[in-house]
Amino acid sequence: MKIGMIVLAGGIGKRIGRPFPKQFLLLGGKPLIVHVLEKARVIADIDRVVITCPAAHLDETRRLLANHGFDARFSCILGGGSRQESTYLGLADLADCDSVIIHEAVRPLVTVEEFRELIAAEDPNVMFGIPIPFTVLKGHDYVEDLLDRDELVNVQLPQKFDRAKLAAAHDAARRDDAFFTEDASLFYRYAGERVRILPGSERNIKITVPTDIVTAEAIYADVIGRGG
Amino acid sequence: MGKVCVITGASQGIGRAAAIRMSREPDVSALVLIARSAAGLEETAAAMERDGKEVELIPYDLTDLDGIPHLVRGIHDRFGSIDILLNIAGYADPQSLLDTTTENIVTTYTINVFAMLVLIREAARYIADRPAKILNVASTAGITSRPGWLAYASSKAAVVSMSATLADELAGSGIKVYSISPGRTATELRRKLAPEEDLTRIMQPSQVADVIAQLMSDAETTLDGQNIVVRMRSQTGG
Repeated sequence: MKIGMIVLAGGIGKRIGRPFPKQFLLLGGKPLIVHVLEKARVIADIDRVVITCPAAHLDETRRLLANHGFDARFSCILGGGSRQESTYLGLADLADCDSVIIHEAVRPLVTVEEFRELIAAEDPNVMFGIPIPFTVLKGHDYVEDLLDRDELVNVQLPQKFDRAKLAAAHDAARRDDAFFTEDASLFYRYAGERVRILPGSERNIKITVPTDIVTAEAIYADVIGRGG
Repeated sequence: MGKVCVITGASQGIGRAAAIRMSREPDVSALVLIARSAAGLEETAAAMERDGKEVELIPYDLTDLDGIPHLVRGIHDRFGSIDILLNIAGYADPQSLLDTTTENIVTTYTINVFAMLVLIREAARYIADRPAKILNVASTAGITSRPGWLAYASSKAAVVSMSATLADELAGSGIKVYSISPGRTATELRRKLAPEEDLTRIMQPSQVADVIAQLMSDAETTLDGQNIVVRMRSQTGG
């Protein structure tokens, strides 16, 4: 079983309010993306890691790989205009792999154990999810419907899929011009197969808005034993 | 696989004592000793208990910062890993403020701070795949006021600060960073700094080396990121 990994690093830093992409923000003195890649580095089961980047940041990401001593297992490719497009390009680059793990550069607090758990899962298609601790309603200017949060799940990355089946699902979605914000939804809709949900972690946060980095620093301080 | 231990300043003083002490550690399989003086390195090697361990002597002037990446890459290529890095090389030529030349300030900082930082940066590129330890030798001069020792004392303060920051920055990568601040130690450097002092009455380099060996052992897991002052109990002026 050959396992590849796609690290989505297509951010441009708009929502985080910085003039550079958030994958380059520092957490504990290291860029967010390096935190992710360091976890992948220690897992020998992962044969190749492909990072999808915007054209403007390809060189910088490659420089980061060299500076931090990542070997030839790690490579950068040009991402697409959307997250879905970037995943599609990553899947094509990993055409020689049987299974693919998808993660994003802005979830730096993922653990090696979570990657290992994903790899060890018997189901070929797996995601992490956590309960939604707040009430969610449907609507825009007015409430339009109620949703039962007990039936909902907060989708987390990393995820694992049968590479060929996910690639076929992407092809089908492209034919329909259908766009999804992550791959479990796309796979569920277009591959028609079950996606196993493993219990995720509240610590595996996604860095999206400026306060997230404050939260991440507090979690990271605890992770490295500097929590007080 | 045994550990590869790299030691700078290994031709004399605490560096030599550390090399001798680490050569007795059963889990160390190779020692790489770096210093300017080839003769001094030979003397250190002669005093070591090799017991099947590989010992490589590298005469190198650490003021050549540009050559350090090549130096570290060569060590990694030869031994396959760097598990322990002991930054012990130091330089001191104490002068009062108005007598201190720019050259003295630059040389002091180049050896005590810049070379250490570049060595750590280069080593960290290669020691990412397995747990490793780095120890930087500062000084009690770096944590107290030392009129007349401006360049040396402030450079050692930089070592303390740098070590604390690196301990946190590298913690997530499995690298532990320590700093120790020895008080008065009977080294050649001390003889130069305080020629009237009776060196038999102050801390010996081997005592500092014992502390280094304890910190570098697998059993030690909690003291990284802290500046550890190493003084003899009876000492008052260290």
